Parts: sequence; structure tokens; C-alpha cells
Amino acid sequence: MNSKRKTIHHSLIAVLTLFAAVTLTSCNVAKHGAIPGTLRINVGTEPPGLDWQVETDSTSFDVVSNLMTGLTQYTPELTAAPACAKSWDVLDGGKTYVFHLRNDIYWTDGKKLVAKDFEYAWKRLLNPASGAQYAYFLYPIVNAFEYNSKKVTDPNLVGIKALDDFTFEVKLTKPAAYFIYLTAFCPCCPSRQDVIEKWGRRWTDPEHIITNGPFMLKHWEHEYKIVLEANPKYFEGRPKLDQINMFMVPEQATAFALYENDELDFVDNRSFSTPDVERCKDSPEYHNVPLLRNNYIGFNVTKPPFTDVRVRRAISKAIDRNVFPLILRRKERPTSSWIPKPLVGYSPTTGEQFDPEGAKKLLAEAGYPGGKGFPPMTMLYPNRDDVKTVVEELQDQMQKNLGISLGLQNQEWKVYLQTLHRDPPPLFRANWGADYPDPETFANLFTTFNGNNTTEWKDKKYDALVEQAGTEQNPEKRRKLYEQADHYLCNDQCVIAPTYLATQNAMVKPWVKGLKFNALDIQFYKEVSIEP
Amino acid sequence: MLGLIIKRILLAIPVLWIVASITFMLVRIVPGGPFEGDKALPPEIVANLKAKYHLDKPVHEQYFLYMDRLVHGDLGLSYKYIGRTVNDILADAFPVSLQLGGAGLLLAICIGVPLGTIAAVRRGSGADFAAMFLSTAGISVPSFVIGALLIFTFGIWLKILPVALWESPRHLILPALTLAVSPAAYLARLTRASVLEILEKDWVRTARSKGLSTDKTVVKHVLRNALVPIATVLGPLTAILVTGSFVVEFMYAIPGMGRFFITAVGNRDYDLIMGTTLVFAVLLIVSNTIVDIVYVILDPRMQVT
Amino acid sequence: MSRDKVGFGYVWYRLSNIPTAHCAFWIIMFICLIALLSGLHVPLSHYGYAQTTTDLLAAPSWEHPMGTDELGRDLFSRIVYGSQLSISIGVTTALIAFVIGTIYGAIAGFSGGKTDNILMRGVDIAYALPDLLVMILIGVLIGRGTYGILISLGLVSWMGTARLVRAQFLQLQHEEFVEAARAAGQSGLLIVWKHLLPNAMGPIIVALTFTVPSAILSESTLSFIGLGLSPPACSWGTLASDGWRSLRGHPHLILFPSFFIFLTVLSFNFLGDGLRDALDPRTRLFNYGKIVQDPEEPLENAAPALVAKE
Repeated sequence: MNSKRKTIHHSLIAVLTLFAAVTLTSCNVAKHGAIPGTLRINVGTEPPGLDWQVETDSTSFDVVSNLMTGLTQYTPELTAAPACAKSWDVLDGGKTYVFHLRNDIYWTDGKKLVAKDFEYAWKRLLNPASGAQYAYFLYPIVNAFEYNSKKVTDPNLVGIKALDDFTFEVKLTKPAAYFIYLTAFCPCCPSRQDVIEKWGRRWTDPEHIITNGPFMLKHWEHEYKIVLEANPKYFEGRPKLDQINMFMVPEQATAFALYENDELDFVDNRSFSTPDVERCKDSPEYHNVPLLRNNYIGFNVTKPPFTDVRVRRAISKAIDRNVFPLILRRKERPTSSWIPKPLVGYSPTTGEQFDPEGAKKLLAEAGYPGGKGFPPMTMLYPNRDDVKTVVEELQDQMQKNLGISLGLQNQEWKVYLQTLHRDPPPLFRANWGADYPDPETFANLFTTFNGNNTTEWKDKKYDALVEQAGTEQNPEKRRKLYEQADHYLCNDQCVIAPTYLATQNAMVKPWVKGLKFNALDIQFYKEVSIEP
Repeated sequence: MLGLIIKRILLAIPVLWIVASITFMLVRIVPGGPFEGDKALPPEIVANLKAKYHLDKPVHEQYFLYMDRLVHGDLGLSYKYIGRTVNDILADAFPVSLQLGGAGLLLAICIGVPLGTIAAVRRGSGADFAAMFLSTAGISVPSFVIGALLIFTFGIWLKILPVALWESPRHLILPALTLAVSPAAYLARLTRASVLEILEKDWVRTARSKGLSTDKTVVKHVLRNALVPIATVLGPLTAILVTGSFVVEFMYAIPGMGRFFITAVGNRDYDLIMGTTLVFAVLLIVSNTIVDIVYVILDPRMQVT
Repeated sequence: MSRDKVGFGYVWYRLSNIPTAHCAFWIIMFICLIALLSGLHVPLSHYGYAQTTTDLLAAPSWEHPMGTDELGRDLFSRIVYGSQLSISIGVTTALIAFVIGTIYGAIAGFSGGKTDNILMRGVDIAYALPDLLVMILIGVLIGRGTYGILISLGLVSWMGTARLVRAQFLQLQHEEFVEAARAAGQSGLLIVWKHLLPNAMGPIIVALTFTVPSAILSESTLSFIGLGLSPPACSWGTLASDGWRSLRGHPHLILFPSFFIFLTVLSFNFLGDGLRDALDPRTRLFNYGKIVQDPEEPLENAAPALVAKE
């Protein structure tokens, strides 16, 4: 007995000492871990592939964004600046775009970049045989949808054309104010027909791939690391870095340990668990960047009791959004509007504000005073750590503020997506990240024909507003239209209850210079240098 | 013995066929498909993708297509890792898991079996209790916590071993140790129990009373007979460890099979799930056959067919 | 023969003479009692499960003996509450694995030959099927809740026991006492029950006790694939897997759940060992080197030097 107790005692003390020792060495700033000319980062997971027309995920785009340059490129302020196109003309009241390409851009094999490379790439994106998911991006183009859905078989009928080696013309079915942003998007980067046809599915292997951006793919060890190398012939001049090592460390705690041991130079959300954020938020190496990623509670408006707008509004009003940064601890920004802050159409007054009394009143009006008689309700959410915290908090708030007891149901990611897309439950938690820095990417989501509108809400007035805003050329009128649409969505109809905007949390070693963050969460490394 | 091996090889074919067939159905019954994405796709695009991977055909046709390819040694295409065949992926990942799993297995045996033997022979002593505590801790603390503790202690705090990654033999130490903890604990307890059973046998008492020393008796007679249960669990254990533990591979950023398998399940990458499952099944059959052969070597009276 | 004396009182007497097992038994009883009371909603902690936004992630203190989590909930209350599911899952899964595995393995090992071969290929197949997919499917078919958890965990954990029992039986088949029983014309079932099973018990009990922690921990994996508990319900497994990243900042979140799993498993180990000894009358019991006298049988004269050194 005695010896057993003693052993427990000793091992407990040993473990506690160990914890204390480890805990005390909090965020230490190391000095001498830089490798000159080499940036070491963590991309978290393996990019499924590097074929930029076919890929859809952020990891692939992290790599491709540094390998390729499109017609335009994002500035840190997220405007579309000239890149491969030195200028462009918008004709026909916004229905025709003519891009004038630079004539001094070369591919890594020495060939000159020509307009045909864009024509090939865009048609490849639309070609049904490619199975490219982002093909729908180009649907505003004449016959693009028809070609992609096999209603038109001749690619020459699509409104994409290389007029000569350095002139590229695109015809749209209707004006689209956000169209220029799409030209900076990875899937719209040029492609080399000869390379793709020669190597088939293996054309993205390091020994075959031909690119035009600041870096070149040197080495790819699957599920382990990708090595990029500076492109000496890059048209804006050779980048300052010689090499980028992109590791795929899936576990946040491990990646952060590597950062602490100077084996990584820069880590972001993918490598930065919340406890680590807390520990390091006062470090000079810490950065916090708001993202264009909105989290919301969605109602299926065809399922009672959410057929009643008063119930939806009551719930939205009963959410104290200021709690989210406290419990999630990553400096999230509470939001009541769907169109997020820096975008046109955002207004701080859009959306239901926290008002428990008003919420109770609305609920009583709907026939459930004090939550009495409210049918048992279950909220669906995908299984992710932070989401669980959010829904548990909401469950508590609904109980406290409305007297509604809310059940929670988590599903594995793919099952959750399938449920949402096939038979959306009355209440669910979801989020949406911007594809381009324009309110259209958000507003369009809840239109009748959007495949991601899982609220089952079909409203002609909203559709018309969004359509009108999308084609409007006057910026001021456009802003008003989006504001109106957003107010209609979040207040009048209250189809969703937006909750908070996600943030990017990063740590950057002091020797990394020139790293800039943006709200779309795409990293460009061409300006970065290592200065130990 | 040769007859046994030939018999098992012949039997392996129907076993693999059943495993392949059940898994084939399983992946398709489980909700969520490979093209169910973060952002829903227009039906036109889903149709294109399905056509590309023959998923638009009726299930029985898909099945015959798959089996036909399987017979020719072609495990199919990955939906997620575009442009890569399952054969390619496994050829890259399996050697990594094999090294890691082999090292882990060796460590587990080298720690577990002696620990269990000592605990049994010195039953009731401090050594026995210490072994009991260690093995209980090893099995009741989740492996990710053990991994994190090892990383913090040896990687960040003492800075004597690499935190993670797969670069040099030194990078093998912590992951192999993490991997070995729970099987070592299990082996230790099992060895102890099994040695105790044998120590109670009359013939051991006889051997002892004839003046054979304790250590000699244990090594020569007891351990040999006690090895049967150990060999039994080593069969599946070998297959499990060698095909990769996803916790350890995630934790230490090692490009092994366990990682590919879990990602494949998450992505509903049908052919890759099938491929990893079949590799595991083959290894399981091989190691279980070896175990049965070992039985006969350990105790020639055992009749294994 | 002495083997016929296996009665409850006898086993209990022997068990209570093994202090470790005796102590382990009462610890398990105590934890089960807590689990039962929390299941009956007896308030064991006045902190309850309330969420606050003022006391987030507090370290252990007099007010919150085990600290609070990221939503300000008292960890002690959560552990008390979690014991309910974790204990029932650990014990039930082990029992399911034990019953299925022992029967299956006994049939295979005792029959031998063709039956054995076919049954063991069945085990190979069951082993080879990906657990994760099976569990996702069960989750969809049965739905969430305790039954789904028990069935899925039970279904993936009986094979090890089956293989162990079968191997022990194959080995024991040719021991003299089995041959003798066979020659004496005892029926198969009787041989299995009286001779084979008791002699194979050691490894089986180890397998049984090791199923407990692995079931408690795998339950957290189940909630990851959407089969486990619905929040705010919790278990030791989910507490441990939610808390482990806080190892450096808030170690109490992982330390306490792990400790209770450890304590439970340790107790089961000691109890398991004790039970094995208590069930098998051939084993002399050792209480710190002293030999425990069997109540009805005078001690043999053979000195147990080999097993009771120190």
C-alpha cells in the first residue's frame, strides 16, 4: 500500500515539475536560427496537386501563387494591379475586356508568354473533360456555362480569344464589376498546351512543370515538403530569396515547436494553436490580421419554427457576439452583417444587434413566451475544435437569453457537407471565405441559384438586388445596392445570423523582412528577404 | 511447414477478395462523396468529375472495373492527389512507415518483454510495481499526450533531439519511442501474465527443485513456452505498426501510410482507401502466417493448419 | 480436487487477502458509485456545469479544485460528469470483447483444423477492414448515443481476445491434464470450461484490462467522427483530447482527465491480476513476500523461491 502511494506521489511530483519547467519557458525569442536566403514555412497539409486550373484548395494556391503570375495581381490592399497584362480596356459598357500583355515575359524554359497561353488555360478551365471545379468562375463569359455543361461543344464559340500574341479579349454576357479580380485568381493563370499535352497527368512534377512566376518548383516530397527556387528570369526581377522550403506539418503544436526551435521562420493559423496564441500574443513577432471569412448561423426557412421571421430575428438578437473573441481567443471580430468590414456594402448597423429583451418580445409574439412550447431543436455543426466551443456557447446563450434548450449535433466533415447540401437541418453553423475581394462573393451566396445556399431561402427581391449590384458600374450606386441587399438579408428577412469574422494569427521571426499579410489569406513571397 | 505456407497463400486470395469487396461497398455506403466540397459544385462539374473516375457507372460495373484492375496489380487513381496513382503513393509512403514501424516494434519488444519477465520473476517486488505503473501509464495516457511530452522535453526543453520532421536517423528516435509506448506496455503486461502461468506449471517446479538456477530456468524453459501469447499479439501488431500510425505521423510530420489513409478517409478517396486497406490486409495475413509458424517452432505439439 | 472450490466466498476471501487487488476493488467501486450518482443527476459538486465569461481557463484553486475550461466550466464537475460515460464504456466494451472474443477463440482453438482455419481467416478479415469507416457507417445506421458507441467499439475490439484464446487453447490442448480429461471421456464443453479456460486466464485478463483504457480513449475519436456525445455532455476521453494542446499553457486541462483514466486502469490492472490469482487455486498468494495461507488447505512444503523472491 505504502509503496504504491509513494510511487503515485513521486510520479505526480515529477510530472508537475516537468510541466512547470516546460511552462515557464514561455514564448522565447531566439536569435541565431536563420538560414540566409532560405525561407522555411509550414503549409500544413499536402497540396492535392499543382495543376492550377484544377485545384481548389488554399494549400495548392499558396504554392501556385508564388509559382505563377496571372493577367493581374493583388496589391497588399487587394486591388488588381497590372501583371502579365500591362493594361486593359473595358468596352461595351463593361461587357468586353481587352488585355494588353507585356512582351517581355518568359516561361522558365525560355519561351515567350503569349495571349494563346491564356486562351488555352481559360478554355481548359471550362473544358468539361478537365473536371475543374472553379470553372463556374468564368460563367459570366459568353457561352462559358454552355460549353462547360456540354450544351455547346465547340470551344471557339466561347467568348475568349487571343487577338494576337499580346492581345487577349474576353466577352461577357452582362457587365460584372468584380470580373477584374478573377483575372488574378490562380485557376485563371496561363498554361502551356505543349507541356500539358506532352506529360499528361504528370505535367506538374518538378522535372516537367513550366511556370512564369517569381519562383520555380524544384523538389516535391509528397506529404512532407515542397522546395521552391528563385526564378532568375522573373519579369519583375529575381526575388530576394534563393529558396523556400514549404513543410507539411499537420499538427499545430508540432509546427509551433519547430518555430520555437528556429526550424521555421514564419507560422500562421495552420501552425498556431489557440493556447500558443495566448502565450505569444505579446511577443513582437506576433501578428493578427482580420480575414474575409465570415461565420454564421443559418436557418432553414422551410422548416418550422424558422418559417416565422420573428423566431429567426429573436435568435439573431439573442446572440451576444462580443463573447466570441473571449472564448476563441484569436482576436475574432464580432459582426452582425454578412458583408464584412472593408468591403463595399458593409455597414455597422446592418444585422440584428444584441438585445435580449427585444429578442424575448419577438419570441413571445411568435407564440413562444419565455421559450415555452418551442419545439426541441438541434443545431448541426462540423467537428472542429473551435466550432465546438462556439456552438456550446450559443447553446448556453439560447438557454439564458430565450429559455430555449438547444441540442447539438456534430458530424464528420464530409457527412456534414452532404447533410447541408441534401437536406439542410433547421439550424446549422457554417462559414464562407471570400474568393475575391468583392462583396459579390458574399452576397451571391444566398441567391436562389447558388448551390451553397443551404437556407432554402428563395427570394426574388434579393436576387434582383444582387444581380443589379453585380452589373452596376457606378461605385456609389453599387455600394448602396449591396447595403440594401445585406440589410434585407440580415434584418428584414433574417435568413442568417452572422457571428464573427475569423482572423489570421501569425508569428514571424525578426530576420524575415518584407512579409505582408492580406485579408484573402494568400501569401506572396517575392518581396521577402532574410536578414539575420 | 511448406504445406502450411502454400495453404495460407491459397487462402489469402479469397480473404483479400472478401476484404476488397466489403471495403468497396463500405466506402460507397458511407455518406459523403469524394466531390462533396467545402463549396458546392455545379451539377455539371460533378458530372464531369464522376465521368472521369467512372463513378457515374452503376456500382456493379465499377466493381468489375476495379477488380479487373486489381487483378492486374493496378490499385487505381487517387481523386485527391491529382495525377498520382495509388501504386505511386503507396510506393513512396510504405517504406517510411516500415522504417518507423519497424523501429517502434523493435523498441516495444526490447522494452516490453524483459520488463514483463522481470516483473513476473520478481513478483510482488518494487520492480514489479514499477513495471505495473509504467505500463499502466503507457496505456492510459493518450499517445498524442506522450508525443507532446516527449517533444517538449527532448526537443524544446533539453534541445537534444529534433522536434519533428523526417531528415536523419536522429529524427527517428522520438516518433519510434512514442509509437512503442503503448505496445510495450501491453507486451510487458502480457509477458508477465504469461510467464506467471508457466511458472506455476508442475514441470517448472520440478526443474527448479532439480537445482536449475532461476535465471537459467526462466530463459531456457519458461520464456520459450510463455512466448505463445506474445507471438499472438505480435501478428496484428506488426501489421498495424508497419503500416503506420496516423497519430505519430501527424504529430511528427512524417510522410507515412497512416497519414495517407486518414486523409483518404476524410476525402473519401475511394481507391486510396482500398489500396491502403489491401496493403494492410496482405501484411496482416503474412504476419499471422508467420505467427502460426512460430507456434510450431515454439511448441511442436501445436497443430496449426 | 481443489479446482472445484471456485465459489464466490472463496474467491472473495482470496481476493481480500491480496491488498493491491482489494484496494483496487474499492477504488473501482467508488468511481462506479460516482459515475452512477452523476448519472442520476445527484449534484456532487456545487459548481455545476454553468458557463461564465469571467472565470475562463482558471488554474486550480480552492474555488475550482481542478480549474476551469475555455468556457469557464468547472473541470471537477466535468470529470465527475464524464466518469459516467467513460466508466460504462470502458467496462462494457471490455465485457463485449471478452464474451465474443472468448467464445469465438475457444471454438477455433478447441476445434482446430479446418474450423480453426476458417474462423481465423474471419478474424483476419475483421481486422483488415478499416475501423474508421465501419464506425462512421455504424454512426449513420444506429445514430448517435451510447448504443452506437458501444456497438462500434465492441465490434472493433474483440479480435485480439479471440486470437489470444485460440492460441492458448492450441497450446494447452496437448497438456497432460487435458489429455487425461479427454481420456476420461469428459465432454468438450466441460474440458473447455474446467481445464482450458482457467489455464488460459492470465493473458485473457490482461487483454480484458487493456481494452478498458483503449475504449475510454477511442470514444473521443468517435465524437470526432460525429458518433460520440453531443455537447455539453463530456467524457474523460473527450476532455483529454480537447485539452491536450493546452499542455503548456493550462496543463490542468489534460493532467486531471489523464490522471483519472490512469487511476481507473491501474485499479483494473490490480484487480485483474488479483482475480486471476484468486480464481486459480494452484496459485499461492503473496502478500509482500509472505505466503497467504489457504483456509482449507495446508500449505505445500515447496518453497516458492522462484516467484516470491524479495
